[in-house]
Amino acid sequence: MVKTFFGLFFVLIEITVLTACSVVKPYEKELLNDPDMELSSRSIDRFETNFQVYRESASGANGGKSGGGCGCN
Amino acid sequence: MVEKVAAVVVAIKILDVKNSLCISFGLFISVFAGSAQTTSYKKRVLESTEIEVLTSYYRQDGENASVTGGIGTEALTDRASALVINMPLNEDDVLTLDVGISTYTSASSGNLDPFDDSSGASSDYRGDPVSTPVGSPWTASSGASQTDTWFAISGTYEHSSDDRNTIKSATLNFAREYDYVSYGFGGGVTRLFNDKNTSLGIQAQAFLDQWLPRYPTELDSYVEADRKLTNGYFKNIKIYDQWGIETDKDNSSWETAFELMDQKNRNTYALSLSFSQILSRKSQFSLFMDLVQQRGWLANPMQRVYFEDRPNYYVGSPEKMTSTLKSDYLLKKHEDVFQLADDIERLPDTRTKLPIGARYNHVLNEYISLRSYYRYYTDTWKIHSHTLQVEIPIKVKEDFTFYPHFRFYSQTAAAYFAPYDQLLSTAPFYTSDYDLSAFNALQFGLGVSYTDLLNQNHLGKLGLKSGHFNYSFYQRDTGLYAHLISIACKWVLDD
Repeated sequence: MVKTFFGLFFVLIEITVLTACSVVKPYEKELLNDPDMELSSRSIDRFETNFQVYRESASGANGGKSGGGCGCN
Repeated sequence: MVEKVAAVVVAIKILDVKNSLCISFGLFISVFAGSAQTTSYKKRVLESTEIEVLTSYYRQDGENASVTGGIGTEALTDRASALVINMPLNEDDVLTLDVGISTYTSASSGNLDPFDDSSGASSDYRGDPVSTPVGSPWTASSGASQTDTWFAISGTYEHSSDDRNTIKSATLNFAREYDYVSYGFGGGVTRLFNDKNTSLGIQAQAFLDQWLPRYPTELDSYVEADRKLTNGYFKNIKIYDQWGIETDKDNSSWETAFELMDQKNRNTYALSLSFSQILSRKSQFSLFMDLVQQRGWLANPMQRVYFEDRPNYYVGSPEKMTSTLKSDYLLKKHEDVFQLADDIERLPDTRTKLPIGARYNHVLNEYISLRSYYRYYTDTWKIHSHTLQVEIPIKVKEDFTFYPHFRFYSQTAAAYFAPYDQLLSTAPFYTSDYDLSAFNALQFGLGVSYTDLLNQNHLGKLGLKSGHFNYSFYQRDTGLYAHLISIACKWVLDD
């Protein structure tokens, strides 16, 4: 299972790199540099992520903390 | 006339030469300045210290409390605050301190000890005073575990290479609540390629946690009294069977396999991989994958279970002890009666989690963007889940943005889950924790943010960078629902 997931991860990387049309130069990144385009959760989402980790079994794979704390209440 | 034309031509040539000289000099200066920039000046990774203050109010309710075996009130409120300080140490290094505190009030946790003793005015056949413990899964008790404060602090040190293409980080974490303490550490490397269009990251983390266990009061008291109902806590308390008949405590069949936890550690080891790629001037994509291994006591010692293949026993108000007690117990109105637990939940001491997630962000036009996220998750407890999240930032003004958002979550049940009174005592593992049950959940809400582009609003030496507000509503098809309000303000320290 772990091997399958690693395989899938790297296949997806290859597909993504191949489908990226061309290199975007720094001066062409005006739209991508907008904070709303960041490829991570926004800082205000931390409380939301926190209660989801408590109330749901799935967690991780969002670029944040992947463990620790009991999730008791 | 010819002389005049010749004079003009000469003048133009002189001007051309002057212009050429000026242009050449300008180019020389700019090239020189450019080379000087690369050799003696580096743009700082973070220009000034940034301080972010965050606070939230969370409220939930439901009818499947895990502390009372999968039935009962799940009412809970939580007030949390956090302070995040990003400090530039020099051109390359940033230190982040994150301090969080949260205080919750939970009816279900309070029912770890559900018994609010009423007067012991009556006496039993031996003449000993009898107290009537009153409690119910549907009402909050005044138990000491009803409120708790969680405190956490973490520090992250980040170093960027001169070309800003390599970022190394190290993190330390500490968290504590009244029955749990957690120590964590980790490190990671991110490498940017392809004119910073592509990044690959790897991160490792370890959390060495320790339970300071609290148990359901009837189980704890029973073990404390050498498993005799005629001693200790139960000495003066009447116990009734499921037909409402008082039991003889010398020969009672209420017995439990419950034992105090023999191991109190819970360790988590996580390996995270990340990849991001700019797809075009308007869109980018990222992939995340974690491999998480947990070892130790992975169950929660506060959570009761009730077995289908064991008779039920109750304590509480004698008027409520009727022949239909067993079925009445599930009714919300049937208060002042509490069923004695058969055991606490038992779960395997290892769990491997495998989440894989992807984000795709796209600028639709000048005003509207799309932020999307999908995750598939599986683990060795046979839970599979899908998460889909969509957020659409809408810029209504240059400094105001609205964030309508929607999230769908679905999971299958853990192999060890069964509802209240449907578990088997012969199974090696069992739980009635509805967070491990099969369910679908919907979440939607609206956020708004204000960006102070010129840091015009000041509080002493702090200039406002941005302010955010968010409201979310969450509902599970098990009946649990929750409201969350979050507020955040980011400030920049003036130099």
